[in-house]
Amino acid sequence: MDKERYQRQTILPGFGEEAQLRLSKAKVLVIGAGGLGCPALQYLVAAGVGYIGIADDDKVELSNLQRQILFGVADIGELKVNAASKRLQQMNPDVRLLLYPFSINKKNIISTLNDYDIIFDGTDNFETRYLVNDACSLLKKPLIFAAVSGYEGQLAAFNIPDDAGLTTNYRDLFPIQPKAKEIPNCAENGILGVIPGIIGTMAAGEIIKVITGIGNTLANKLLHYNLLNQQQYEINISPSDAYKPIKSEIDLMERDYNLEKIKVNGFIEIDVDAMLELNDKESSIIVDVRERHEFPKLNSNIYKQIPMSEFSDFVESDIEQTTIILLCQHGIRSVAAAELLHKKYGEAKNIYSLKGGIAKWRNHFLTT
Amino acid sequence: MEIQIISFGKISEFINNQNIDIDSINDTDGLKLYLEQLFPNLVGMKYKLALNKNLVQHNSEIHDRDTIAIMPPFSGG
Repeated sequence: MDKERYQRQTILPGFGEEAQLRLSKAKVLVIGAGGLGCPALQYLVAAGVGYIGIADDDKVELSNLQRQILFGVADIGELKVNAASKRLQQMNPDVRLLLYPFSINKKNIISTLNDYDIIFDGTDNFETRYLVNDACSLLKKPLIFAAVSGYEGQLAAFNIPDDAGLTTNYRDLFPIQPKAKEIPNCAENGILGVIPGIIGTMAAGEIIKVITGIGNTLANKLLHYNLLNQQQYEINISPSDAYKPIKSEIDLMERDYNLEKIKVNGFIEIDVDAMLELNDKESSIIVDVRERHEFPKLNSNIYKQIPMSEFSDFVESDIEQTTIILLCQHGIRSVAAAELLHKKYGEAKNIYSLKGGIAKWRNHFLTT
Repeated sequence: MEIQIISFGKISEFINNQNIDIDSINDTDGLKLYLEQLFPNLVGMKYKLALNKNLVQHNSEIHDRDTIAIMPPFSGG
């Protein structure tokens, strides 16, 4: 370890060589190398955290450069993890970087998290945020959570016991995962670059505090920051009983995080909102594959009835629409129909099946 | 009684920080209903209340001069 490099922090009261040694032995996983991940990574690498994982499947785009300060124009089109690692390794070659150029999902999350002491969530979507939260809470891994919107940011430290031994997680704050459309993201809502800069840097500070034991972390607290009036507002989080905790890996595998679409075998299972949105597009068709005697009868102007018993003729015919949405009573036959269409058209057509079928979305079908 | 309302994120676009008089309301469940009538945009949104900087997990009594924060989840990164 290069003593001169870290001298400005090791001379700090309460820090010293001991805290530096802890940093050098620590393993931190940064999920999301975007607006929050970039500044957090910069300071973690500069401070000498020994072992850092970076997970992100995105490539650098021009519109990222306004806030994702590890990247330059020459990096456009390159994987973020590769571009970030190049820059970070120049900053501090002592740090060992491990790159995960794929999205974190239910299949890979447990094995990935197992290798790390502390997790940083700097992702940009609820699907990954809730998955990371639940997996960290199952594995009892300290999770630093950061999120931004407009001129504001949120920061919290989860699964870290306070003096009374109490821990909380993101579900104690917001028990139910919002759908993607419910809350606008940076692309829709806009973001001033310094906001993830400030919040991501604060997050690095929390991570360093958790590793070294200096100061007090944001355990069981949510910090709100507003750039426009330079105000911070801290809230105490207490455990909620409004959600079912994840108690095993099986629980985690069974939970549905992708609320919008689950792509299996070349088609996507969707909910009724997604169905309506897709149907607004030009060149789409909704096909009811139930037999003619089944109830409720649907409006034939909107839902074209092609029963499964006659479906092979439909598959044989030349279908002009590019988007085909299939539905039935429970969303089982429509999956079979989707598989038949996918066999013929592959990726040439967008094929969807209404998950749960008419029975699940009864209120929608009975009122329209 | 008078309470202070503080809002965050998207919610601050339609609920300004303000003091409001509530005479017939004495708990957070009642306040939620009142706010959702006054600000219909809240209906169907995911948000959480904090009473005097403590997250509200169960219906809680509100007293004069209390502060209520209204927070939505953020997803941006």
